[in-house]
Amino acid sequence: MVLLQPDPFLSELTSLYEKNLESGSVWVTMKRSCLKTKNKREQMEKEGQKIEYKCLVRATDGKKIISTLIAAKDQLKFQASYATVLRAHMDALKKRERKDRKKATEPAKKPDAPKKRVPVKKPGSTKV
Amino acid sequence: MVYIESWDEFVERSVQLFRADPHSTRYVTKYRHCDGKLVLKVTDNRECLKFKTDQAQDAKKMEKLNNIFFTLMSRGPDADIAEASGKEQAEQQPAKKGRGRRQ
Repeated sequence: MVLLQPDPFLSELTSLYEKNLESGSVWVTMKRSCLKTKNKREQMEKEGQKIEYKCLVRATDGKKIISTLIAAKDQLKFQASYATVLRAHMDALKKRERKDRKKATEPAKKPDAPKKRVPVKKPGSTKV
Repeated sequence: MVYIESWDEFVERSVQLFRADPHSTRYVTKYRHCDGKLVLKVTDNRECLKFKTDQAQDAKKMEKLNNIFFTLMSRGPDADIAEASGKEQAEQQPAKKGRGRRQ
């Protein structure tokens, strides 16, 4: 379990995604944490100390585990960079092709326009 | 393990779950590029909510959910979910300014 700073974490996360293009999964877990044991936390609360919470982010591909802690002040920056990394790699998902739902009068080839044209949305579940 | 069909229901129940128990609730994302599948899970070790998809549009929704959870987790369960602030930041970029060169 490697604990990294936010920026190296993002680089390692990028390489995790790249390594697992052909096969494998990438798990990313987010959890609130203050890195203290329950007893210590209760003790601190009794003493009236303010406990600082951070967001713990872990990522793994089944073999390698990396993690980082995000404090509130780094949150926005990390959030934006993380979103960029995800967007860059999650491109294997299907684009919105609702040809079977549209009427026959609609043109077949329509570029991926992110406008809300059809309010009827098929729920994103595919029964395998 | 409950797979939820509706995205909005998934979001609402996950946030409720987190707010009820911020210590044990965690948010997990699993992505498989080879299958083109994305699965989201929110659990507090008692109840588990899942959402799976293979649609690119859901990746965008997931980004918003990521932001929500980041805010909740780093600032606290009582934090105001600033969904709007994310969009406001994007709109701050001026699209066009009329002060161009006139010939």
